[in-house]
Amino acid sequence: MAEDNSFMSGLPELAILRLLQDQEMYGYEIVQAIAARTAQALSPGEGVIYPLLHGLEKAGALKSRRKTVAGRSRVYYSLTVKGARRLSTLTSRWSDLNGAVQALMGGALAVR
Amino acid sequence: MLFDNLAEILLKGGVAPRHVRRYVAELREHLEDLTEQQRHAGYNQEDAALRARALLGDDDELAAAMLEQKQFRSFIARAPWAVFIPLPPIIALLASRLIFGSLAQIGGHYGFLANHAPLPPLWYQVLATDVTAILNLFTMPLTAALFVALAARQRLKPIWPLAATLLLLVLFIHSDATFAPSDPEHGIVLGFAPIFEKPAQEVMLDHWPLVTAQYLLTLVPWLWLLTRRQMTHSKL
Repeated sequence: MAEDNSFMSGLPELAILRLLQDQEMYGYEIVQAIAARTAQALSPGEGVIYPLLHGLEKAGALKSRRKTVAGRSRVYYSLTVKGARRLSTLTSRWSDLNGAVQALMGGALAVR
Repeated sequence: MLFDNLAEILLKGGVAPRHVRRYVAELREHLEDLTEQQRHAGYNQEDAALRARALLGDDDELAAAMLEQKQFRSFIARAPWAVFIPLPPIIALLASRLIFGSLAQIGGHYGFLANHAPLPPLWYQVLATDVTAILNLFTMPLTAALFVALAARQRLKPIWPLAATLLLLVLFIHSDATFAPSDPEHGIVLGFAPIFEKPAQEVMLDHWPLVTAQYLLTLVPWLWLLTRRQMTHSKL
């Protein structure tokens, strides 16, 4: 059965914003961190993270700068004030959704 | 080259060249990191590179992610008519006006263009002759080349630069500097005009070899694009 991603939309964005709240990171680092912190449950495609990052940057939620670390030049992303506000909105939306799903599952278990 | 195919898909899909360049650059860096990761996992360089490329995603997948984001489409891809129809004649006219205007300014400053002025000195005659020749031989071909380059950069259909070139040829601009020692009122006459103006048509009939060269040179950029596209198709 084909996977319906409509419930998942917004999750990669939430994950990116949350990770960048703590520190600036580059694309590869972000993908690895998301996979590690969600035990691979949420692992965005390695390469497809960039359009998402560029989109968030264009929307003003992120800013980027090229930085050389240990001889490797990479584009590092960090959260802006607008991005922090967006993270807060998304977090609260996902918390509500999570609560609703928990309640639903609890109810379903009680019926059984 | 790595990601050349992806870049072609994205450009043809209307993604702006600067966004394509940035995406490809970051994918290259990501691929280096992935290859290093696979090397650390114990694979040799060749296997590590292959595994890294597979992990990164295939070209279609990578292209689809970018094409989904409509905000990265260039204006020229979204509305080519707004660029290729009105702008070529405007640019050619402005360039002609700017250069010819500067020539007239110099002539005016020294009083060469005033009524009953004598024939201007040789240096001004040479300058006026050279500037009009440059204008005639370069303004329209360079304007046509600019729009061909824009189309080539975004992989647009050749119909758009052809429209730009045809518009330039229809609204053809021709410049002229005439020195008339026998004219009691003007020692020199400067002028540039589009083809549909009657005096310009008469001048252009007199200058038919130069006019023919102007037409042919203006067509060259589009013919180059067409040849290049045909060569690319035959390679595929």
